Amino acid sequence: MSLQQSSLKVSVNNSPELLERVLRVARHRGFKVELLSWNSESSTLEMTVSSERKISLLSKQLEKLIDVTQVVNLTEITQEQRA
Amino acid sequence: MAVTAITQPQANIMRGADLLVSYLKQEGVDTVFGYPGGAIMPVYDALYDAGLKHVLCRHEQGAAFAAVGYARASNRVGVCIATSGPGATNLITGLADAYMDSVPIVAITGQVTSAVIGTDAFQEIDVLGLSLACTKHSFMVTDKDDLANVLKQAFTIAKSGRPGPVLVDIPKDIQLAEVEAIIETSHYDPIPAVEHTDLKAAIALLEQAKQPIVYVGGGVGMAQAVDQLQKFIEVTGIPSVTTLKGIGAIPTTSPYALGMLGMHGNRAANLSVHDCDLLVVIGARFDDRVTGHLATFAQGAKVLHLDIDPAEIDKIRDCDVSICGNLVTLLPELAVPLEIKEWQQKCWDLKQEFGTSYNAPYVSIYAPQLLRQLSDKLPHNAVVTCDVGQHQMWVAQHMRFTRPENHLSSAGLGTMGFGLPAGIGARHARPNDPVVVVSGDGSFMMNVQELGTIKREQLNVKIVLIDNQRLGMVRQWQQLFFEERYSETILTDNPDFVAIAKAFDIEARCITQQSEVLSALDEMLKSDGAYLLHVRIHEADNVWPLVPPGASNADMMESV
Ligand SMILES: Cc1ncc(C[n+]2csc(CCOP(=O)(O)OP(=O)(O)O)c2C)c(N)n1
Repeated sequence: MSLQQSSLKVSVNNSPELLERVLRVARHRGFKVELLSWNSESSTLEMTVSSERKISLLSKQLEKLIDVTQVVNLTEITQEQRA
Repeated sequence: MAVTAITQPQANIMRGADLLVSYLKQEGVDTVFGYPGGAIMPVYDALYDAGLKHVLCRHEQGAAFAAVGYARASNRVGVCIATSGPGATNLITGLADAYMDSVPIVAITGQVTSAVIGTDAFQEIDVLGLSLACTKHSFMVTDKDDLANVLKQAFTIAKSGRPGPVLVDIPKDIQLAEVEAIIETSHYDPIPAVEHTDLKAAIALLEQAKQPIVYVGGGVGMAQAVDQLQKFIEVTGIPSVTTLKGIGAIPTTSPYALGMLGMHGNRAANLSVHDCDLLVVIGARFDDRVTGHLATFAQGAKVLHLDIDPAEIDKIRDCDVSICGNLVTLLPELAVPLEIKEWQQKCWDLKQEFGTSYNAPYVSIYAPQLLRQLSDKLPHNAVVTCDVGQHQMWVAQHMRFTRPENHLSSAGLGTMGFGLPAGIGARHARPNDPVVVVSGDGSFMMNVQELGTIKREQLNVKIVLIDNQRLGMVRQWQQLFFEERYSETILTDNPDFVAIAKAFDIEARCITQQSEVLSALDEMLKSDGAYLLHVRIHEADNVWPLVPPGASNADMMESV
């Protein structure tokens, strides 16, 4: 499989170590963070990652984090809109 | 300060440390394992006369493994306690072990006072940071009024869904602060119900299959779904294989139980998985020690995957149908009778062809046979813990278990030093059941200090120390794959293990001849208290069969 980019929107319950948790999972599971925006007011995180692994591996691992309430794959949504 | 004449007794106000101890008691925790130190002193002060049993282990790693052993032997939440800094870092291996094997434990650590966190204060370490990679979740309490709620969440998270370790770091000032004792205990967070369409698709797969195999993992025991699994296997008649953690979930007397699969699995199990057309994966996760070369693992099979953790679905192997849910309710819904007589016969034939034999390769004591004889002498309620290496695989291959809670083996992390403290934890969880620790001469030394815990608590724990004067499993790999270059695996300078045991007032005996085995086992089992049986074996004994790294499970080696 070749390198693929995807964007995720991650909704969270905020905690001081939240960003560390998310970034650790991304790195450990083999995803390189290309772009990251964090809005602490709305407790949402948007990240663009690249990897040879399929994005569902990351989104499912992120969903396991207790402080993560929702993970939406923005790439899939834009593809659906284009189609 | 002047003393006021009339003081209202405020029964509901107590120190954070007292709240913690009251919480643990109300949560139903009867024993905790730990080690004191500066930043956790208020908690130890609260424990002093609170009527909650505390077991002083002799290393925080021992306390963590004891909590794991307690949890695994009883399906309850294990609790361990340590101080900040070195106390907390010593817990990490135990947390990692619990994380890999999905064991519900709660670790309480003291932390330096809030005001000095982040100043490199004495014995300060960022435990929350350290915990991220080895816990299911972790907390640092920053507000004294949150303490009760954090504890409740910690226990709820540890045991809900896929269980796991949770760490609660409590700064010393919060342990000392006056808090209101409003205690609400934890609950089990329910899992969303399964869609009916998934069940239909799963049953369709089962009914189409001509050569199905059930591949059972640790999830069955953790879900306490052993009875449901056995019923499922009885009704469907599907032949089964188990992982290291799945051992005990299927009685070995079940006609089509083929035993453990994987690297040191038996040939019948691996060959039938290789040939199956449907793999029914129940609470298992396609670990690399199970699959061998992944691309050739059950290559032609469809996969039906049942697990509580959605992240395990399609993680390693894409499946055809998956259901995430509680196995206790799920398995009865899938128990449909199947027409697979020919396949059953084939599996039965394989099982007969590759049954175990005990032809000792040397005149010395043959550990597989000794373990089988030990197993035959133990009652069904005995708990066996083991360490890591060749002896661990021999326990898995040659001892018989009727419940997963009776076979405690560090599976996912493979941690040497697990056996002795896990046995101590198991003994506390099930004081009426015999506990036997099977260890190796390498592993035993990793937590040998826990003999002190056995002495202190006067614990009736039996230890069978299989001594090949080698780091046997590594030696075996050096022999097979590193041109017999035995780098740092020769332990001919081992200490006198009998003398070590005796130094802790533990009865001990060393045996070297096959003729001594049966009477020595009897002597050990009949002894009143702790006992160490030191068993000398030949250094060249190997674990067979073995799937070489990178090979298909169908290509097992049977000898050098
Ligand atoms: C903490 C830890 N360090 C290193 C290893 C690597 N390792 C796996 S098995 C083994 C040898 C174990 O020797 P022993 O306990 O004597 O058991 P044997 O294999 O001889 O039965 C080693 C060093 C490990 N699993 N755990």
